Amino acid sequence: MPDQTPQSSETLIELTIDRIVEDSNTDTRIVVLSRSDEATERFMIWVGASEGESIRRALDTSVTPRPMSHDLVKNFGEHLGVKTTRVVLTDVKSSTYFATVYLENKGVTRTIDARPSDAIALALRCHAPIYVTHDVWQRRSGQNLDACLNKLETKNIGAHEA
Amino acid sequence: MITQMQVKGLMFDPYTNAYIVILRDEDQSEMLPIWVGKSEAGAISLSLENVAPPRPMTHDFMKSYLDAVNAKVISVVVTDLNDNTYFAKIHLSYEDSEYTIDSRPSDAIALALRSHAPIFVNESVIKKQSSEELDQWLENLKPEDFGKLDS
Repeated sequence: MPDQTPQSSETLIELTIDRIVEDSNTDTRIVVLSRSDEATERFMIWVGASEGESIRRALDTSVTPRPMSHDLVKNFGEHLGVKTTRVVLTDVKSSTYFATVYLENKGVTRTIDARPSDAIALALRCHAPIYVTHDVWQRRSGQNLDACLNKLETKNIGAHEA
Repeated sequence: MITQMQVKGLMFDPYTNAYIVILRDEDQSEMLPIWVGKSEAGAISLSLENVAPPRPMTHDFMKSYLDAVNAKVISVVVTDLNDNTYFAKIHLSYEDSEYTIDSRPSDAIALALRSHAPIFVNESVIKKQSSEELDQWLENLKPEDFGKLDS
């Protein structure tokens, strides 16, 4: 596979999806990502329930009887000959992450602004690599997976008592 | 034969906990209810109410994807109804060719509304649903459901 890494490749870190955690209290999902080069450090993004489930289905490579929304986008690409080459998590502003999807057809690269959830759901289906800029990776600071998951569990216990 | 229809509204069905998109033809003589998921209903609702969310939602992303490569949605067609599952086709034009892509009606409608593309329904679907869906609706009603109205 030809390398599509951009000129600024030294500032990009490749990520793999570790798992999807359910936050039943807020009906959201947490996408846990880790660096492809060192699996110890993690990165989390909160996504909507349907987007989270779409990512989970892609991870499980489970097939639904009818094409779901991100399968449809993938099918557009297959019909039109457009390739999803990579997605990059490019920015974070007030806890909202921004992503860019890179498309290629006939040697021309085009970019689309997207939420990370849609970008990741499409990337997994197209076997495209997922990157985060070094800057965004650094700014994930304060994200402590254990503390967060503990908090989530405590919250869930609270909800059952109520 | 196909009939052009418009999205007339969105309903919540408390019996099945599902959302229903109501399609209606121009002279209001035919109506087609389509059961859709919660997130797809949300996507259709945002479009109907002309709400622009701060970040692109999944169907906005879908439209951006097509815009980025200059592909256009010509029309969408609800083509078939089988065991209460609806089938749709999205017709795209791209570089002087036409492409037909299999889709769920919910995705097709959410995309059509964002692309200002017409929505068509096969007449066979309208005929089929008028018997199937009504029967299903009546079967789902229980005596206690009527009782609830009094309390």
